[in-house]
Amino acid sequence: MSQERIDWSQFWYPGPARIFTPEELSRAGGQQPSRTMVAIVTLNVAIVAMMVMQAAPPQATAQLTAILAVTSVAGLQFGRRLWRQPTRRALNIYFGVLALACGIVVGFLADHDGDRAVRRWLIYTCASGALLVSLSLWFLAVFRSAQIAARLRELDDQDRAVDMAQQLAAAQIQPHFLFNSLASLQHWVQQKDDRAAPMLEALTAFLRATLPLFNRHRLRLGDEAEAVHQYFEVMRLRLGDRLRYRIEITPAAAAVQVPPGLLLTLVENAIEHGVQASLGGGEVQLQADVVAGQLGVEVRDPGPGPAPNALPGVGLANSRTRLQQAFGPHATITLSAAPGGGGLARIDCPLPTRSAP
Amino acid sequence: MKPTVLIADDEEAPRAQLLAALRRVWPEADLVAECVNGVDAWDAFLEHDPAVCFLDIRMPGLSGIEVAQRIDARAQVVFVTAHGDHALAAFDAGAVDYVMKPVDDSRLAQAVARVRQRAAAPEAPAAAGLQDMLAELAAQVRRPPPLAVIQAGIGKEVRLIRTEDVVYFEADARYTRVVYRSDGSDGEALIRTPLKELLAQLDAQHFWQVHRSVIVSQRHIASAVRVDEGSMHITLRGRSERLPVSRHFQSLFKGQ
Repeated sequence: MSQERIDWSQFWYPGPARIFTPEELSRAGGQQPSRTMVAIVTLNVAIVAMMVMQAAPPQATAQLTAILAVTSVAGLQFGRRLWRQPTRRALNIYFGVLALACGIVVGFLADHDGDRAVRRWLIYTCASGALLVSLSLWFLAVFRSAQIAARLRELDDQDRAVDMAQQLAAAQIQPHFLFNSLASLQHWVQQKDDRAAPMLEALTAFLRATLPLFNRHRLRLGDEAEAVHQYFEVMRLRLGDRLRYRIEITPAAAAVQVPPGLLLTLVENAIEHGVQASLGGGEVQLQADVVAGQLGVEVRDPGPGPAPNALPGVGLANSRTRLQQAFGPHATITLSAAPGGGGLARIDCPLPTRSAP
Repeated sequence: MKPTVLIADDEEAPRAQLLAALRRVWPEADLVAECVNGVDAWDAFLEHDPAVCFLDIRMPGLSGIEVAQRIDARAQVVFVTAHGDHALAAFDAGAVDYVMKPVDDSRLAQAVARVRQRAAAPEAPAAAGLQDMLAELAAQVRRPPPLAVIQAGIGKEVRLIRTEDVVYFEADARYTRVVYRSDGSDGEALIRTPLKELLAQLDAQHFWQVHRSVIVSQRHIASAVRVDEGSMHITLRGRSERLPVSRHFQSLFKGQ
């Protein structure tokens, strides 16, 4: 059993140990304490001040008012700053300031003559006031630090969930594709058709090649092209002479690390809208190269291209988001009607000068 | 009389599988047409008038939904589809008959039993709202814009005919005859695109199919004349010919 160790540094240098960067602080938000909290704290300070004034001997009223006013204003100001940036350093500086001020007042009063009882009363009040303010500041710094940390953790979890969902969506094998392929396979197996064996092989290879899409953030474009190749093969067996395909990927393009699922989404789209939807069918071409530090991927199909006012589908919007997460806002995916006829999907993205790890 | 059946699927294997299953569970059915796309299915429907149509949903030319829309209530439709099709939810809500691919015999037998039950009670009302549901589903299909220009080869010349100038199209052996009127003069041309394929590319508001082999521009129709029970023809504005309206399309002209 590991026992939690006492952090002895907290005794001589108290306060939250974690230092947040400005980015973390702005991400967590809540830079200002809520108005409710400010009101409650102010009310409490006022009540304590009133109680002290009530208990004070009448001769001390003037000094006491000055001390209370300065302590309250300083305490609230320190609290506000600690709220914005709850660091150990700031907290200890405030402790020092309070102790120093307390020392000066006590020293000043010790030299002063007058009623001893009143003087002692003032010194005690001053010391316990400083202690109360210090304790409050300490509590505030620890609370606020924990609050920011919790908020950041929550945001991280949210980001991870979104990220995961996007990855899954990217890797999701279309049930329509799977069941249609199985329908062909089942029939060919029953009929002892020669196409059954290559179909089973291609389908298995496709499923195997799509597995890395589930658990990787980045994938070599060449690896994804292998999944696409198997997808083409399954579709060619199903559609017969309605589908021809060609894949041309330069070694430089194959080595680029891309978010998984992009090629597959574009090719699925090209086959569904460009080949399966057309009476004659035709050829789908996948080309990828790197020219002047820019990755260019093209998928051409024999279809009519996008309808002029068609809204982009979920798959495309998702791909665009993931591409821009990976390569920045200059990475684009465009769908258009190719100049010589047919549909054209194009990815353009500037590659980072230093290749990503 | 044997029940007549049409099946349509653009992929060979699922079509053959459906056919084999159908032969097992419904041996007395008479297969009158086996179609490889939506335009074939619609054309074959007009030609053979089958009692039951098994339609795949995703097909080129016209989708299964669009074919069913055109068939209206003139035949019983059973959709054949795979998991993940967006239409499934609507089908379940609207009590539409469908079977899933790969088709299994017991599920197909259930669908066939329902079809036969309904055929035995001919006065059973069609499912309410079916047409609305099909229209809604059809609107989700991504369609290229309707054809704007037709290219017709005439001798060594290729003539561009704006579709808005076309008066009517008529199937003529292996060709389609395009009769048009532009800049005040009449013209004719032959094109190779079959009429049934042209149909899917035209604006259905503007061009009405009135016969299996005739599509006419609605703006050029002058009148519809009923000749006797079951036969009808239309006359055109400023032209002398009469075009036949087959039984399936007579409901387009019902008067008000």
